[in-house]
Amino acid sequence: MTDFTFEGKQRTLFLGMMAVGLVCLVATFFAEDAGHHARFWSNFLHNSVFFTGVAFTSLFVYCAFTTAYAGWYTVMKRVWEAYAQFLIVGLVFMLIIAAGVFLHWHHLYHWADESLLDPSNPDKYDAVLAGKSSFLNKYWYGIGTLLIVGTWYVFATRIRSISLDEDRSGTTEYTHHSRLRRWCAAFLPIAGFSSAAIIWQWVMSIDSHWYSTMFAWYTTASWFVSALCLTILTLIYLKSKGYYNNLTDEHLHDLGKYLFAFSIFWTYLWFSQYMLIWYANNGEETIYFHTRINEYPVLFYGNLLINFVLPFLVLMRNSTKRKYGTLIFVSVMVLFGHWWDFFQMIKPGVNPHAGAHGDHGGHADHGHGHDHAHDVAHAVADHAEHASNFASGFTIPGLLEVGTFIGFLGLFLYVAFAQLAKAKLEPENDPYYAESLHHHV
Amino acid sequence: MATESKEVLYGLYDDEEILMDAVRKAKADHLEIMDVFTPFPVHGLDPILGLQESRLHIAGFVYGMIGTLTAFLFMTWVFTRDWPIIFGGKPYWSVPSFIPITFELTVLFSAIGMVVSFYTVCGLGPGVTNEVLDDRITDDKFCIAFQTNGSSSEDINGLRSFFSATGASEVNTKVIS
Repeated sequence: MTDFTFEGKQRTLFLGMMAVGLVCLVATFFAEDAGHHARFWSNFLHNSVFFTGVAFTSLFVYCAFTTAYAGWYTVMKRVWEAYAQFLIVGLVFMLIIAAGVFLHWHHLYHWADESLLDPSNPDKYDAVLAGKSSFLNKYWYGIGTLLIVGTWYVFATRIRSISLDEDRSGTTEYTHHSRLRRWCAAFLPIAGFSSAAIIWQWVMSIDSHWYSTMFAWYTTASWFVSALCLTILTLIYLKSKGYYNNLTDEHLHDLGKYLFAFSIFWTYLWFSQYMLIWYANNGEETIYFHTRINEYPVLFYGNLLINFVLPFLVLMRNSTKRKYGTLIFVSVMVLFGHWWDFFQMIKPGVNPHAGAHGDHGGHADHGHGHDHAHDVAHAVADHAEHASNFASGFTIPGLLEVGTFIGFLGLFLYVAFAQLAKAKLEPENDPYYAESLHHHV
Repeated sequence: MATESKEVLYGLYDDEEILMDAVRKAKADHLEIMDVFTPFPVHGLDPILGLQESRLHIAGFVYGMIGTLTAFLFMTWVFTRDWPIIFGGKPYWSVPSFIPITFELTVLFSAIGMVVSFYTVCGLGPGVTNEVLDDRITDDKFCIAFQTNGSSSEDINGLRSFFSATGASEVNTKVIS
């Protein structure tokens, strides 16, 4: 079967997932209003960034493979084309966050407090944020998001339309393919630089005083591993429905290898970032890990356990990359694991319940005043009262967070499946299609 | 290595597809193939020959673990027992700073260990000469070899007719040590 039908049952399932997500989001909004509804807004940011990133890395790896004359993935390339179409939804979501920065719907970003930038008020003036304010400001945030994700989406649609045109009116000659490759090659450098710039804005700037030069790589690796997990799960599901009979264990084996390799790549970047900061021990850098290790140990160590130890040990053997059972198990765990990873990047910085060791999200609670001595005194008293500052949805993901994740996943898959239904599942006019069918590892 | 000499009857094929068909036929006829030589790895040949999956990677894992333990325990001993020095105000037992070296030694041990294992198992290495059935099997010929020690002339004729039936371009005999 080369034509995919998006069945009513699947629609109902995904719509149901979205309903769960929506209910959870609304419930989060009304259940907790601490720090300008920090829990709601950080959940929204977390999932939007995560799934936009999955769509982006799908497009990126598609372009990288096409540019590198790779043939093996051709049989399943429609899945990545469909994933990339989620970028328009991601753009809308991120623009909502950007609008929130403008209109002070949320105070996720400490730098958004413009009263910190006024040198005439030495009590509140924050020299570090003033120095960064040419990049960390609401205009850059909004325009950068629109420009960068917009560009990604333009490439995604352009590439997809060439690919679909090849199906309808093309042949296996290289005329369409060479056009496709030019677009793909052009996307690579754009994607490389723009994804770094936008992830600094979206996620790294939550811990406004902190910075890490490894951060963009590290998050992109996280996105890519998540995209691979989702790809493997989607493909195995579609195979179980009778599609993709040409997609063999060999293709899944290679995807499994990618999952294994890039889990290790992610760990390598995670460790590089950690070790440099640990070694140098600059206060403004170390606080990031100090907070996470001491206040969020479950997030911190769980992250490494799910995203490194588990895939490393399970996928090491040849046979586990060829069995559906182990592949599904690892993909589900690691997909959740990288969602967890983004949770761990975002939440400690926006936690309104955080004590003295917390980052700057807590300031929203104390009004806009940046009276540091008061903050510390307040936090120390706070700390003495309850030895642990456990807060569901911040210290670890609560049920509402998991529900929100399910909702976004439902939306993502709905968009992807609707796109899959619009074209042939297998690009039979792609010059590399035949090579893909004979793939053997 | 055993030095018993082998009498070998081998056929050369021009193309890997013909070779694969010939190997399939040999398996169907229950002929005992000594070995198959190809100038490059031929995909799908191993399962037809019924070769077991190599256990080299298990050896590699073990060597890697030895490397991990060697590096980690050695550094632990040096920096906590033998010669404790404070670097940059860090504790003596500073695990993060051990990890890069532990990683490097894991890779080094598993790589060198696997090379040595592979060479030993295959009887290769410096100073070893292995007789080659035909120089062209390292270039453009695909070869199926049968050992014929103690085979009757009937058997040998059967093998020769197998070669001609499967399209071998050349059939030769050779005695190798």
